Amino acid sequence: MSSDGEDYYYEDDYDEGSMDQDSPVSEGMSEPDIVYDVMSPTADEPAPKKPYDVSYKVRTLQEIINMQSKEVRKIQTLLEMPASTATILLRHYQWNSEKLQEQFWNDPAAALLSAGLSPPVSPSTRTGPLPPSPSLLISPRRPTRSSHNPALSPVKRSRAPQPSGPFECPVCCMEFAKEDVVKETFALGCRHRFCRGCWAEYLTGKIRSEGESSRIQCMESGCERIVREEIIDELVPAGVSKRYHNLLNMAFVADAPNLRWCPHPDCEYIIECTQAPPRMLNQLVPTVECNCGRQLCFGCGYLSSHRPVLCKIVRLWERKCADDSETANWLQANTKECSKCQSTIEKNGGCNHMTCKKCKYEFCWVCMGPWSEHGTSWYQCNRFDEKSGVNARDAQAKSRASLERYLHYFNRWANHEHSAKLDAEFYKNTEKKMEQMQNSGNLSWIEVQFAKQAVETVIKARITLKWSYCMAFYLKRNNMTELFEDNQRDLERAVENLGFALEQNIEPDSIAQLRQDITNQTAYVQKRHEILMDDTLKGYLERRWDFSVDI
Amino acid sequence: MFGSNPRAQSSTATRRLMKEYRDITADPLQDSITAGPISEDNMLEWEALIQGPEGTPYEGGIFSAKLIFPPDYPLNPFKMIFEPPLLHPNIYPNGEVCISILHAPGDDPLRYESASERWSPVQGVRSVLLSVLSMLAEPNIESGANVECCKLYRDNKQEFERQVREQVKSLLGITENTE
Repeated sequence: MSSDGEDYYYEDDYDEGSMDQDSPVSEGMSEPDIVYDVMSPTADEPAPKKPYDVSYKVRTLQEIINMQSKEVRKIQTLLEMPASTATILLRHYQWNSEKLQEQFWNDPAAALLSAGLSPPVSPSTRTGPLPPSPSLLISPRRPTRSSHNPALSPVKRSRAPQPSGPFECPVCCMEFAKEDVVKETFALGCRHRFCRGCWAEYLTGKIRSEGESSRIQCMESGCERIVREEIIDELVPAGVSKRYHNLLNMAFVADAPNLRWCPHPDCEYIIECTQAPPRMLNQLVPTVECNCGRQLCFGCGYLSSHRPVLCKIVRLWERKCADDSETANWLQANTKECSKCQSTIEKNGGCNHMTCKKCKYEFCWVCMGPWSEHGTSWYQCNRFDEKSGVNARDAQAKSRASLERYLHYFNRWANHEHSAKLDAEFYKNTEKKMEQMQNSGNLSWIEVQFAKQAVETVIKARITLKWSYCMAFYLKRNNMTELFEDNQRDLERAVENLGFALEQNIEPDSIAQLRQDITNQTAYVQKRHEILMDDTLKGYLERRWDFSVDI
Repeated sequence: MFGSNPRAQSSTATRRLMKEYRDITADPLQDSITAGPISEDNMLEWEALIQGPEGTPYEGGIFSAKLIFPPDYPLNPFKMIFEPPLLHPNIYPNGEVCISILHAPGDDPLRYESASERWSPVQGVRSVLLSVLSMLAEPNIESGANVECCKLYRDNKQEFERQVREQVKSLLGITENTE
């Protein structure tokens, strides 16, 4: 048995050399599982896909760039146009190539114009032997004979007929002699000519300070002609052009519904997932794991897993927690107002005979009526059933109940988060102790790993528990909700037990017993965790949950 | 051409402003606007005189404004400040004019304008002053600079016009016996 495990271990190790960037995390985790083989927890292995899981890929920036050029090539061949034209069209239609094709075949001229490209027909812009791109574009079925002419730079190609005589740049008022006009100035197809220095300054400003990328227009005010990528590259310094391309890629990812940047700081991976479009987010919680080892929600970009709660509920909950309205709610539930001067009063002890500190008004805390009417029945109110008092008390009771309900869920939500942090800290101390034991005693490294696994399990389960309280807050009371709360309670109990066991002092004599105990409990927590997760997430697909808010 | 050092920039600004000054002098704007540098030593500070458009409460008034150009003009727009401040929904209480054409393309304090309405290096003193003239005739209270004045203009136009006329008169030095 153990030799099998060892074999596998080496194999694993061997494989890792060839594809080491693939999954460093799962490698580290599966290793002890295999060696131990005690109720091997399956959660960390690439388990068979569950109906509520989404498949996704983690992409690098280079792959994103390749994706773009692939899309561009597709449109380029389909519509028979230069790559730069295809790129601008695609960007304009936010990389929706079906929509682009539909609109283009419908009315090529309108499609090009709306994207800020040359209007298709203008015979005056034809320059000699080279068929300018506009003429290609209105008759896309004609074979593209000379769309690739390496001899001409794009800037030169799109140049309009040269102005005769010297030229004065309308921006900086520099004069350019006739022979310098070609070298020193530049105009787009719209023939608004400026000197290259002004162009560079203008484009740099757009890119550097305004962060614009895909829709940089001609400098002339009101002119909507888009400046092409290769023209920008030619006119601006290298550093600016690099930033420009970064911005283009960011815009591409932002526009694509199936892509999302990993939101963790310093991480440059991009997640691609086609199974979690916004309309599916009322039944899916698309938690994914980036190659940087951290989790995120593909649906809303939350920085960690918020399973089993839907993105929308998470947003509502976070807003509710951040909102000041709960303070007002608290005031309403815990205080009353002096019926004479309206000061807010919190009663923190004593009898019902209140005297307002401010206006010296004497009243009864129970019925809020003036104390003078209470006659001689000091310290108790026998006017409880009078109408004025009843109404006021009803309103107050309702408000107090809703506040208590919220606090019940919020405290547990916050508590689990806090506990998860404490567990992690506590483990750091334990770890030191384990190392000592390993060094002094005859325990092997592998034998002291059980605690690490247990702590990881507890932390994961606590995060799920945390979110389960957010979920419960928004669930309507019914049988399904009771089942959910049963699962929640079972997991919570298991987690607390394991947490308690982990806090026991570890002594070398009792470690075998403790290890057995903790390993068993860890497996149980994992089991309960899976049940809660499984049931809740499947519940969305089966539409079992009934929320008090609209999802 | 623009260089990276400020001196080259301000020489660009100076050259361009010289040209604009020449153009405006040669071809005055509808006879209702004059503009030019306060002193030939500093091209970055101009003074403009604007005649109140006919048929508006500003009619008959002549308003003076300072134009302050940044050293990187014309990449960034200049500031226009009426001295003394003019009562108008689109003029801040300190006299600064707030119209879209004078906003640098990146910054839109009131989030109302599309990029095409804003400053671009091909705009100039002439186009801005013409916009200011039409602004005097047709205030835009959607994106007002002087909120009090916007309210007055919307709720009680007659009173607004009365106050403007009052201001015009006092600017011209005509004092009236107002009880």
